[in-house]
Amino acid sequence: MSDQSKQAEIVRQSLKRRYRKERRFRAYGIIAIAIALSALVVLFADIIGKGHSAFIKTTITMDVDIDGEMMYLDDASDERQMKMADFVEPLIQALMREIPGAGESDRDAVRDLLNPYASNQLRDALKEYPDLLGTTQTMELLSHTNVDVYVKHAGDDNYSIKLNQQQREWVDQLVEKGVVDTSFNDVFFSRGDSRDPSRAGILGAIVGSLLTMAVTLVLSFPIGVAAAIYLEEFAPQNKLTDFIEVNINNLAAVPSIIFGLLGLAVFINLFGMPRSVPVVGGLVLTLMTLPTIIISSRAAIKSVPPSIREAAEGIGASKMQVVLHHVLPLALPGMLTGSIIGMAQALGETAPLLLIGMVAFIVDVPGGFLDSATVLPVQVFLWAGSPELAFIERASAAIMVLLAFLISMNALAIWMRKRLERRW
Amino acid sequence: MPTSKENMYGDHISHQFNDDLSSLKNDFLKMGGLVEQQTTDAVNALIDGDGHAADEIRARDKVVDRMEMDLDEEATRLIARRQPAARDLRFVISVIKMVADLERVGDEAKKIAKFALTLAEEGQAPRGYVEVRHIANHVTAMLHDALDAFSRLDAEQALRIMKEDKRVDEEYQAAARTLLTFMMEDTRNISRCMAVMWVLRALERVGDHACNIAENVIYMVEGEDVRHTPVEEAEKVVGR
Amino acid sequence: MNTMNTTVTKEAAMPDETPVPVQEERPAETIIQEGATVGTPFADDPKFKLRNVEVFYGQDRAIKNISLDIARNEVIAFIGPSGCGKSTFLRCLNRMNDSIDICRVKGDLHLDDENIYDPKRDVVELRARVGMVFQKPNPFPKSIYDNVAYGPRIHGLANRKSDLDDIVENSLRKAGLWEEAKDRLDATATGMSGGQQQRLCIARAIAVSPEVILMDEPCSALDPIATAKVEELIAEMSESYTIVIVTHSMQQAARVSHRTAYFHLGHLVEVNETNKVFTAPEHELTESYITGRFG
Repeated sequence: MSDQSKQAEIVRQSLKRRYRKERRFRAYGIIAIAIALSALVVLFADIIGKGHSAFIKTTITMDVDIDGEMMYLDDASDERQMKMADFVEPLIQALMREIPGAGESDRDAVRDLLNPYASNQLRDALKEYPDLLGTTQTMELLSHTNVDVYVKHAGDDNYSIKLNQQQREWVDQLVEKGVVDTSFNDVFFSRGDSRDPSRAGILGAIVGSLLTMAVTLVLSFPIGVAAAIYLEEFAPQNKLTDFIEVNINNLAAVPSIIFGLLGLAVFINLFGMPRSVPVVGGLVLTLMTLPTIIISSRAAIKSVPPSIREAAEGIGASKMQVVLHHVLPLALPGMLTGSIIGMAQALGETAPLLLIGMVAFIVDVPGGFLDSATVLPVQVFLWAGSPELAFIERASAAIMVLLAFLISMNALAIWMRKRLERRW
Repeated sequence: MPTSKENMYGDHISHQFNDDLSSLKNDFLKMGGLVEQQTTDAVNALIDGDGHAADEIRARDKVVDRMEMDLDEEATRLIARRQPAARDLRFVISVIKMVADLERVGDEAKKIAKFALTLAEEGQAPRGYVEVRHIANHVTAMLHDALDAFSRLDAEQALRIMKEDKRVDEEYQAAARTLLTFMMEDTRNISRCMAVMWVLRALERVGDHACNIAENVIYMVEGEDVRHTPVEEAEKVVGR
Repeated sequence: MNTMNTTVTKEAAMPDETPVPVQEERPAETIIQEGATVGTPFADDPKFKLRNVEVFYGQDRAIKNISLDIARNEVIAFIGPSGCGKSTFLRCLNRMNDSIDICRVKGDLHLDDENIYDPKRDVVELRARVGMVFQKPNPFPKSIYDNVAYGPRIHGLANRKSDLDDIVENSLRKAGLWEEAKDRLDATATGMSGGQQQRLCIARAIAVSPEVILMDEPCSALDPIATAKVEELIAEMSESYTIVIVTHSMQQAARVSHRTAYFHLGHLVEVNETNKVFTAPEHELTESYITGRFG
């Protein structure tokens, strides 16, 4: 046999082994992806399984006699009278009417089916329309949290249902009659935090997050891009520049809680800024995001082909013109992508914000950058730590909202890159 | 010129190129050797009155023609494929021109052989053969030296050949005058003497071609065209 | 009939048998005399007058004492093996080396009797006069029109849109690209073929009306037909511009240039008429290089 055919034989024999190896290698990859995917599925299943019920609220719909006598009220536009008036009584009476078996002795048990804040609904309605006094209105009132839990999780052993046997029978009757019903939980998206789970919402946290992110974006993007351009295009090649570069890279790896400590020490203790406000939160997150933005922006600038720079210089463009006319437009998609990813990181950050007091219980939706606020991940942290299962449910729901924000930010990053990217 | 002559054909990065150039050189020298032989043989056939040898020489001219065509093709191919530059270019261009000269020398040899045949058939006393022998020795030596100068890239020898050509011309003039006196002596000699005159003329042409080859060798080696220039100019070029 | 073998008998006709003298090893460095350029490096009334130019990359001396004149409206080609400094030298002529921190240029470099490396001199003005075309076609990722109009815009050469339109059209015409591009001036330049892109780059360089155009291996990324078009363009442009071209293709240098300069290891070894360089170069290194004996 000639050398060549001998070699061909050897190659043929090793081919099988090579293909086997290749298949095995591919299998490893598929297994890795399968593990990652199943972890993701488990996570999502758990969160959605726990949290989906938070998007549903339980209501009691009934005809309410808005009887002035019962409420010690004869003029709904009189503020003094409104303060003194009893708004609970008409509701109890109306509900008693819906429950045939309930006697005067069951008053308290019946009242406990109503949400303590249901009377506020009546008061608010009267405040707005004083003419309603003396009429009968069909009202949709929020049920008590216990009723909510009973309706949603009646068979679930994890939940302790704080209704007695009598109350449970009433609720069952009311559900059958259609008086107690479930609908989309608009309260969750329209209110701030609350001690009462059925009235707790995440609007406060969302607004807090948006305000904080706005501060972070406004500060970190220009500073980061400017720093990146200077370092990449103008900085002299010397020890100092190298030192700065190394430190920026190190900063990106510093645990975020350290930035929280820094924020606490500098912004709050040294500059005397207020605690738990979006401005300080934004400042701290800016510090945390800057290295990410600088590094990704520099990478984007570096990826601009030197031939473009040379072309512009060769025509006689000044350094400034080269950067502004050519480098920046070409690097912008990469810079934006890096910034959005940095922002997404900041959006999900909890630790540094805990230290600057954004962990407080805040009921009101913040109205500005200097109002006390909390942010989504901190809200999740707060609710997840609550002993009440109804809050755990809401924590999961808040996680879903947070994830939705993160996914849409990443999608925005991808879309922007696709949109703005230019080929050369 | 400080060109290291020993690597005229070699030292290229492409060995194929080296081989192509050497084979062109060797084929040229083969043709040169054949043509030289043809000239010597033709003169010998004339002087010996050997009609058979003269026939052979005329037949062998076909080989010379074939070689000329082969060499031209080889040179063309080399230009097309290698794009020679500088001394390589000069070498190929010179070879193309010198091949034409060699072919013409071959034609002159054939012409001499033709006269040898005619004169052998007439079979009378040789007149002017001394002159023929003399000039023939001279020009074949020149041709030989020219090929030698080519193969050794010897510009100085080539220059000597250029100077030699003048002497051949003088010898030719002298021989022609001698033959003229023969013709005036006896008018019956005229046709024979004319034939010998043609032979002398052919030999003189061989000398011219040898001179052309020498000029091409100088161009090839020195990169300076010395045709149609006084010998003194050529001397300056070579002397550098 | 005699065969050829018997007819070829003369010894002298077979030089292969003569002993070849042992060739002494002479490294190229020892053959070159620093600053001593063979041929005709100087010209009367030159566009560029370059004397004793040295370029350092840190400690490395990349260009070693080169003196050269570049005449008006001539096409001069720089050839030489890779790393011989021809590109570096070319880039000195419009100070493109400035952006390299470790690069220092010494010597007298004059463009029309003005010192190129005068610290007070504005590089922007210099580059408007000495345009450059690069190895890889590098159009901006903008429209064809904007590519050509960029230079005039930043230098403020056109005040009105119609003036700018004229400049763009003229430049494209000179670059032989008008017929191909006139219907798609708004199309992005990166969508053109490589040869068209390179001609666009030339149009872009012409648009600022430079006096000199430097070309750094302008055809090395192009196919032969595109190369031929660019070479044709160079020939046409030589009427109104001084052109300095660095090329790796010796045939290209032979085709387009009037004079050829041979660089070796940072030395300028020989400058001569292109005809002379390619038929009978004076320096043995030039000879070795262009005959393909090293590279």
